[in-house]
Amino acid sequence: MMYWTFLLAEEGGGLFDLDATLPLMALQFMVLVAVLNATFYKPLGKALDDRDTYIRTNQSEAKERLMKAEALAAQYEQEAANVRRQSLAIIAAAEADAQKIASQKIAEAQQEAQVQREQAQKALDLEKQEAMRSLEQQVESLSRQILDKLLAGVPIG
Amino acid sequence: METLISLNVFNAFPLAELEVGKQFYWELGSLKLHGQVFLTSWFVIGLLVVVSVLATRNIQRIPSGIQNLMEYALEFIRDLAKNQIGEKEYRPWVPFVGTLFLFIFVSNWSGALIPWKLIKLPNGELTAPTSDINTTVALALLTSLAYFYAGFSKKGLGYFGNYVQPVPFMLPFKIIEDFTKPLSLSFRLFGNILADELVVGVLVLLVPLFVPLPVMALGLFTSAIQALIFATLAAAYIGEAMEDHGEGHEEH
Repeated sequence: MMYWTFLLAEEGGGLFDLDATLPLMALQFMVLVAVLNATFYKPLGKALDDRDTYIRTNQSEAKERLMKAEALAAQYEQEAANVRRQSLAIIAAAEADAQKIASQKIAEAQQEAQVQREQAQKALDLEKQEAMRSLEQQVESLSRQILDKLLAGVPIG
Repeated sequence: METLISLNVFNAFPLAELEVGKQFYWELGSLKLHGQVFLTSWFVIGLLVVVSVLATRNIQRIPSGIQNLMEYALEFIRDLAKNQIGEKEYRPWVPFVGTLFLFIFVSNWSGALIPWKLIKLPNGELTAPTSDINTTVALALLTSLAYFYAGFSKKGLGYFGNYVQPVPFMLPFKIIEDFTKPLSLSFRLFGNILADELVVGVLVLLVPLFVPLPVMALGLFTSAIQALIFATLAAAYIGEAMEDHGEGHEEH
């Protein structure tokens, strides 16, 4: 039976030998808990929590900034659209103006040309009448001269 | 009987020998202490304290090296405690549950990884502190005290309401449970670690090379699992003691 002694608390030994080791180990463990609480759990836990809050605040700030940027971008886009619309309207107005001015000018020019042509026609007509008249006078004087010449050999009466 | 005798025959083998139940006694007044347990546990405690101090000596916002490792450990422990105790109550219990886990884990692995047996003691041999029944019973009793303290500090005398919570019929079983909890906790850990060391020892005795390696790897695995189980169960008991409705028992 002597080999079984290691199982029993006989002869000051054995597997199930409970003695003062137990309370001292418990005490030692509680001291370890206290020491690790001071050197490990508290500082590192604080670091983890700090990092959590840091990340959370940073994230919310970044989100806020992103929202602001998106709002600004939308505003600028709207403004750009407005400006584009305005510029299109201005271009259209300018084109219409130009069109109007061009047609007006063309009309004026045509009218002037008409007027000038009429004046020229009138002057021409006048000159023609004058020429005709002078021509008629000349015809009369010429015919008289011719008549005189013809009638020169003939005694009058 | 016969196997034990044959084991004794193998003791003549020069490479390794198996010593079970022999203690290296220290006398403290009239008290007897297991010296080998204290020696290895001081090593484990020293290791934990040194690593903790190194990890927290210069805390950075962006962790690296040993701080990273210990932050991983702390997050693991926090998750464990949070899962078992609950989001609201877990914080004050993190040091206790975490130290249980770390102490048992480092003890188990030191027993499996560090060749303690090269250091000769006059009597007995250095092994993992958790392969001594005193250590495991101490931890289990502390766990019992912890969950009683948790229950009483949360509910006062209303804690006794837990004993008749689902049905009054449960009262005797609940009372028995208070005794079986530390018993099962301590014996599970003690048995697993001691058995693992014995199996490795016997295999080394029979075939000194290579053959014990898979068993040693398995031993590392069980050691880690046992530490996890002990800490999880301790947290579960604490959480159960603080629960509003006494329900949900876990036994492994």
